[in-house]
Amino acid sequence: MSTKPHTSQEDLALYAMQALPAEEQQRAQAHLDVCAYCRAALLEALTDVAAVGLSAEQQPPPEGARQRLMARIANTPQATPQATRPTVEAVPEQRKAGFGLGWLGWAVALAMLAVAAYLGYGNYKLQRQLNEDRGQITRLQAAADRAEELTEALTSPAAKQVTLTETKRPAQPVGHATYLPARGALIFVANNLRPVPENKTYELWLIPANGKAPIPAGLFRPDKSGSASVVLPTLPQGVEAKAFGVTIEDAQGSPTPTLPIVMSGQ
Amino acid sequence: MPHDLPNPNVEPSRSSRRPAENMNEADDMGLLTRIQSGHQEAMAALFDRYGTMVYSVAFRVLKDAGEAEDVMQEIFVQVWRNPGAFVSGRGSLAGWLVVVARNRSIDMIRRRRPTEPVELFALPSSTNLAREAERNSLVEKIRGVMGSLPDEQRKSVELAFFEGLSHSEIAEKTGDPLGTVKTRIRLALTTIRKALTV
Repeated sequence: MSTKPHTSQEDLALYAMQALPAEEQQRAQAHLDVCAYCRAALLEALTDVAAVGLSAEQQPPPEGARQRLMARIANTPQATPQATRPTVEAVPEQRKAGFGLGWLGWAVALAMLAVAAYLGYGNYKLQRQLNEDRGQITRLQAAADRAEELTEALTSPAAKQVTLTETKRPAQPVGHATYLPARGALIFVANNLRPVPENKTYELWLIPANGKAPIPAGLFRPDKSGSASVVLPTLPQGVEAKAFGVTIEDAQGSPTPTLPIVMSGQ
Repeated sequence: MPHDLPNPNVEPSRSSRRPAENMNEADDMGLLTRIQSGHQEAMAALFDRYGTMVYSVAFRVLKDAGEAEDVMQEIFVQVWRNPGAFVSGRGSLAGWLVVVARNRSIDMIRRRRPTEPVELFALPSSTNLAREAERNSLVEKIRGVMGSLPDEQRKSVELAFFEGLSHSEIAEKTGDPLGTVKTRIRLALTTIRKALTV
């Protein structure tokens, strides 16, 4: 999980080019080690940086560079030896041990090759799947970090809630509901609420567009500054909302709204 | 899963392997999976595809043909040694090659430890980099965008990328405030990104 604050876009671009002073570079690295959100942002910064690299005047490699590379590669082993590439030295060894049953050695060798090829192919597939999964995890982690940050910004008691009104008018209770019917996802944030007695609570209602009974959408009580929120209450999916309303109910809430409706909006 | 996965049971003999010319249309993933199977011809095709790109970045930084070739060779040998590290199903080998060419070159002129490994990432373009014409077109487009940047933005980003200067060194060199240098670099990169994603 991330440690805040996130690395700024400017610093990520500079980090991608190692253009931060050593101390800041290390600090950014430490944050990136634990923050999937910033790691995803770093990949975006790297794309920009790569584009700068592509602006270099194109120069063909020196004559003979290709041959020199290929010669070097011919003498460079790969990190994971290919199971399908037997060493040519193995064949005489099998012949010596055969004592007239040389075919047996070949058969064993072929069987071993088949097994090695099968295992090598399986290993290849697993490695590929692992790499894909890692990418997926990074993306999901970044999305989760982002969602957590969003939720915290909306609902944390430490978050400053400011409602802008016409100047010189007393602040009025106001609520903002964001609702996604297909998912039954609702976020409600209210400010300047009047206090309610200890044995009472505010209750939010979703008024369905199909004329059915109001659906309870969460209880809330304002904090000292008059702010409150309801985040993702349990709601049925696919219900279009005609309006939202707020009533004052007994502390345990109510299955049906009690008039008057103290706040409403559509 | 790429369409040209090698079948381990039908590994071709070295004499019957396909020539590099036949791999020119294969995508990077196709080449990498063949390299993973030990096909040197696929490595040659990868070099033909990106050798100029990598060498150009190294040469721009180092301004020395021999050193630039050394950097280029080291990078391609790294791909040859461990192609599995690049067969991830995401990202672009081209972008990685460019950034690593730059980092290795800066490491060389600064005589410093090798920088942190760089992950694969996607280039902000739908260009098919397997095709030379599209590669050249992308390079020309980026050069055009760089040329259209305000001088101070282009200078700041080039000093950071090709000279390897930190933002404080750039500020010292240009006499501009630190924050201004940061902002110029960000604006330059944002302009490039926008130009390539439209």
